[in-house]
Amino acid sequence: MMLTILLLVVLPLLAVGFTAWSRSLEKSHLATLITATAHLAATFYLLLTQRNPFAANLWLGIDPLGSFFLIILSHTFLAVALYSPGFLHRMQKPEYNASRRLYYPALNSYLLANTLVIVTQHFGLLWVVLELTTFSLAPLIYFYRSKESLEAVWKYLFLVSLGLVFLLIGILALGLAAKGTGEQASLLFADLVRVAVRLDPLWVKVGFVFALVGISAKIGLAPMHPADIDATSNAPGPVAALMAGSLRSTAMLVLLRFYEVASHTSVGEFSQRLLMIAGAFSLLVATVYIWRSRDYKRLLAYSSVEHLGIITLSTGVGGAAMLGALLHTLFNSFGKIALFFMAGRINRDLQTREIESVQDLMQRLPWSGFVFGVAFFYVVGTPPSGFFFSELLMLQGMVHARAWLVLGVFLVLLMIIFIGMSRAVLRMMQNPRRSAPPTSEPPERFHLAHAVSLYALAVSVPIAIFQPDFLFGPLRSILAEFGFSL
Amino acid sequence: MTNALSILFCLTLMYLAVTTRLRSYVLILVFQGILVAGVYTVSFFENFSATHLVIAGAVLLLRTILIPAYIVKIIRDLDMEHRDRTHRYHPGFLVQISGVIIAALLLSYQFSRMASVLVIPLGTALAGIFSGGLLIIRRRLLLAHVIGFLIIENGLFLLGVGVKAEMPWVIELGAFLDLFVLVFLMGIAMNHLKSHFPEGAGEDLTTLRD
Repeated sequence: MMLTILLLVVLPLLAVGFTAWSRSLEKSHLATLITATAHLAATFYLLLTQRNPFAANLWLGIDPLGSFFLIILSHTFLAVALYSPGFLHRMQKPEYNASRRLYYPALNSYLLANTLVIVTQHFGLLWVVLELTTFSLAPLIYFYRSKESLEAVWKYLFLVSLGLVFLLIGILALGLAAKGTGEQASLLFADLVRVAVRLDPLWVKVGFVFALVGISAKIGLAPMHPADIDATSNAPGPVAALMAGSLRSTAMLVLLRFYEVASHTSVGEFSQRLLMIAGAFSLLVATVYIWRSRDYKRLLAYSSVEHLGIITLSTGVGGAAMLGALLHTLFNSFGKIALFFMAGRINRDLQTREIESVQDLMQRLPWSGFVFGVAFFYVVGTPPSGFFFSELLMLQGMVHARAWLVLGVFLVLLMIIFIGMSRAVLRMMQNPRRSAPPTSEPPERFHLAHAVSLYALAVSVPIAIFQPDFLFGPLRSILAEFGFSL
Repeated sequence: MTNALSILFCLTLMYLAVTTRLRSYVLILVFQGILVAGVYTVSFFENFSATHLVIAGAVLLLRTILIPAYIVKIIRDLDMEHRDRTHRYHPGFLVQISGVIIAALLLSYQFSRMASVLVIPLGTALAGIFSGGLLIIRRRLLLAHVIGFLIIENGLFLLGVGVKAEMPWVIELGAFLDLFVLVFLMGIAMNHLKSHFPEGAGEDLTTLRD
């Protein structure tokens, strides 16, 4: 058990120190890769054994929810660690020197901060470590040192921190709710769930509303999404993949922690309704902007708003829809890895982010175009992608809950989004250019980034079809913690 | 005593509404830091422990010395002293802040009928949070936005006192560290912004849009 803690928390901390000290990018990469692999091994071990390696008085611990979200973080981080050397190798301009130097320390800080958010069992500590995730991302978002990335990092720092102010108000409200229970007011998740029926419903309601508004900036839920969109679309490919694939999921976990407390009180129904409204609104906003987007990286960022909206909406519905939402979170990380890796490569090779300027992708960049196309079909839920199965579970949950209005809104908006995204992506893939391209460039070769992306897309299929018990067992436990059974 | 210090905090908010000088904003931050530390010390005076002493000391160090000194350094480095008028004086802002203070105190009074809270400190905390937000909306300079954010943070700290929510000291200190790192990062970002956006005004940041 001690080894698990070492691999989860101590090793990333050591990796931060080593990569900050080391002048060699190769050694930093190796240290990051070892850390990422060890982290993934530890999270798999925790998922399989469902044991908590932390002492109770540390305010840290692993529960089924935590072990599931750790898998998402580890997987995404390992993919990014594999992709990074190729990315940094191409960033040889002198203006990137400082960014290259900061890259690995920031990346390992990101892993450490996110792991701490997931294993924290105390709302107060959660708030403190959540801010660390923002700090670790700042140098990564500002990698290109351009006017746009500077604006993006400023807005991200400012708006997410303002969101966290709201989150803290939510935590204080929960503290007030706990005061009325007559016991020592504690902000430990387990304590709050244990005394949930005696919590003051008014303060739980206030706490949940503030928490939802506050964490929305980090999840990327509308109307708090703009900073997240700017940051994701202006960050380099691997950083954008990290943000869309794991940071938003970690932030979603924070919301689920609040929801877990609320679901055990009389405010449960209210919080479910609120989640459904927040999710549907995000879906609506994503629909509008996916149709308006002229920049494919922003289009992908809005696709993240869409999917986090779907996850929030289905969490609110509960039951099978919540199981679908959890699976969707995992599959979303796989899809976003592939999409943002390929978007990064397309941007680098074609030197444009405009959808109009990228045409005939299958001819110009056959491998990146192919993987980008497969990833597109994946994220729009084409069978047999993981999204298809998770969305099927969501539909089942909505029918079972007789949430007909939600079902209608969900289906209509998904269809409009599908058409909007197809319009943009298929134009990029196939539309032949009017003028012939310069032919001096060598043809694109198969790269590790393509292999990692294809793996990420393929792995969801057996998970969704065979529903392995090592994953679905904890998922059923999570549903039981929220008061749902299948 | 807690009430008196809280009312003084409200007066700093009124001053915030009438001044447009960056140096005055820093002075307001220093005063608010002292008042916040004072409210904290007085409210826990009866069972004051070493932990409370550490937190009060950290508040004083961070909010009255480190952060204001860092902001003054930014003002000097970015040569903002010669154009410290972020916006021309507008009496409407004073009316808005006054309205916010009255509304916050009334809201706090309503809360006191539902839960055990300290009415004046809670009202002051809410007024601080809303006024910081108003400053961000009304002022042009990005540095004024950072000051607005710090005033919100001061209000947030008072909110904890107002609702009598005591966090473990490790978390309090962790939150202070977070705040310091955040202001530090914003300072670095402002330094870089200077080269791209010489005015340093919020409305310059409009490159990214759909």
